[in-house]
Amino acid sequence: MGKEIKYSTGQLWALTLLRVLIGWHFLYEGLIKFYTPGWTAKAYLQNTTGPFAPLFRSMTGSEIVQRCVDLMNEWGLILLGLGLFLGICSRYCKIFGIVLLLFYYLAYPPFASLGVNAHVEGSYWIVNKNLIEMAALFLLCWFPSSHITGLDYFIRQFRFKLKASRGQ
Amino acid sequence: MKTNRRDFLKGMAAVPFLGYFAVGAKGNITTELERIQNDYLSTLKIDHLSAPEDKLRPPTGNNNNVVRFGVIGNGWRGDQLLNSLGFVSSKYVEDNTVNGKYTKRLQDLLDEEDLYVDFAGVCDTFDAHAKRGYEISLNKVRRGGDKREHKPARIFPTYREMIASDEIDAVIIATPDHTHARIAIDAAKAGKHVYLEKPMTHTVEEALELREAIKSTGVIFQLGHENRQQMSFKIANELYKKGALGVVSMVQTYTNKNDRNGAWIRTREFDHLGSPDTINWKEFLGKAPWVEFDPKRYFNWQRYSEYGTGVTGNDFTHKYDCVNQVLELGIPDTVVALGGQYYYKGHGDMPDLFSAIFTYPERGLTMTYDSTLKSGIYRQSHILGSEVTMDIDNAIMMYKDTYSERYKEHAISSDDPMYYYEPCADVDAISSATAKTYLKSGYGPTYIDGKVIDATFLHLKEWIDAIRGFGTTSCGIDVGFEEAVTFNLANLAYEHRRPVHWDKVNEKVIIE
Repeated sequence: MGKEIKYSTGQLWALTLLRVLIGWHFLYEGLIKFYTPGWTAKAYLQNTTGPFAPLFRSMTGSEIVQRCVDLMNEWGLILLGLGLFLGICSRYCKIFGIVLLLFYYLAYPPFASLGVNAHVEGSYWIVNKNLIEMAALFLLCWFPSSHITGLDYFIRQFRFKLKASRGQ
Repeated sequence: MKTNRRDFLKGMAAVPFLGYFAVGAKGNITTELERIQNDYLSTLKIDHLSAPEDKLRPPTGNNNNVVRFGVIGNGWRGDQLLNSLGFVSSKYVEDNTVNGKYTKRLQDLLDEEDLYVDFAGVCDTFDAHAKRGYEISLNKVRRGGDKREHKPARIFPTYREMIASDEIDAVIIATPDHTHARIAIDAAKAGKHVYLEKPMTHTVEEALELREAIKSTGVIFQLGHENRQQMSFKIANELYKKGALGVVSMVQTYTNKNDRNGAWIRTREFDHLGSPDTINWKEFLGKAPWVEFDPKRYFNWQRYSEYGTGVTGNDFTHKYDCVNQVLELGIPDTVVALGGQYYYKGHGDMPDLFSAIFTYPERGLTMTYDSTLKSGIYRQSHILGSEVTMDIDNAIMMYKDTYSERYKEHAISSDDPMYYYEPCADVDAISSATAKTYLKSGYGPTYIDGKVIDATFLHLKEWIDAIRGFGTTSCGIDVGFEEAVTFNLANLAYEHRRPVHWDKVNEKVIIE
């Protein structure tokens, strides 16, 4: 992050594609939750497994906390999705995305002894799709593309102009 | 730094994709949501399920139609019924206050609708219970909207004085089983509306007599099977009527327990106060054979067939009433039963193992009931249809039959549920194993009109509303009669070790 990396055209579009795909995924997940009448993460939280289960279950104890968790999920996913899709505030979106995915990962950690695989379509051990998506966002943190192929480009341009005008 | 056209286009690279997303996603989300909602209906080949759309009944009470009720028998169940009506003891408030705030359990109770009822009288054969009822009536913490002045409940020496009083409009009877019929009949004849705890009566003859009394007097009667308010049974009944189950040939019911409390060997906080001076022993015995005062008989009356009705009256009646709601079974043709007392000897004559078979030849159907007091395994009732098997309590699980015709093109395995219903029941503040079983079995809260609500409250409200002329009771005398005859046939079959028939034309029991 710091020093700007020079990408080849192929590298740039590959990184952009990965960013847009993750954005697409987040945005659609968020919108489905938003449009589902009475959607709540309650059942998801109550059925969590593994060492962090008590923490997740405790979130359902209070209506206010539960509502916050629901709002964070719905709007968090929608805003993160838009951010990554369009490449706007993309660095913060990636960091927040990793945190969100970490929660999903810890809620149902894929260890054989916890029986998580009974509820999913594949078989996983330590590594699951959440972890891979986290790793992809981690990679995108170090190899950003939004300052070239996203709206962050225009934000940067605006900042440069602002700086230049102050310099004068 | 100057923006050239090429960089500009690069910066906007993802926008066209978002445009595509925006156009496509809306339709896709709608389709996805419709699929989630309609999926189970099309899977089950049913156009519509109307039961989940049930609405809560609107309030019917006001200052001009207050119902004054008396509690006859204020033991543990009387206490629970008072709670559901919105009357709690100061100790209950204390136990449910944490850091100056009410627990969700108490707050939910206070927030429920004010039924506009007055707790006007109480009587019990045990002084301590009657006094406790009186103390509850003094407590000012009541439903949020109830700001009316309440006179303390009057303690009546026996139920006879209570039903003779013009200060009482209706009675709630939660006494030992052998006194249910006598009190309910006398109350009805005195013109008092009756809410009677289950099981309805101690014998078949009493059931006939009570039905006659209720029908001839026209008082409003509700039997205390609050699971009549459970949404799951309403849905299951609709699914059955719409053919989702196919031909039902077998119903399997169970109740199991594995502790002394579950076996009705119980002690409660006031029991040590019980003595010939504080207990009206003669009134407790009623028409039962005379024996000398015995606190064990008094406090654990469920274990003695002179007063109680065993596992069938206590537990099976719940299960029966649930499946009776779903399948409208009525009274069986023949019942056989076997069992015995093997584990809790010296505590009355109640069996701790009990199995019964109930046949319905006209329906081509058999119902079984199995109970042990030496294993706590929980089982839902199973309704075995030709198309699906339904496991039911306050939730429903339906599994496709391997050889189903109706669902043969449906790819789901018989091990995975093809339909699942679970109410959003919150288990907050209910922690003991017995309480969890109670809740799971469908006697706790139910889910209706988007709200989790105490089923007993709804059941009592239905009775109060009917007294005011709004609607009817769902567990009236006719379904109560079916309950009473059915479980009493099983008790007779156990007692006589013979098959017992029900002559439905002459309404008579025939023991082979």
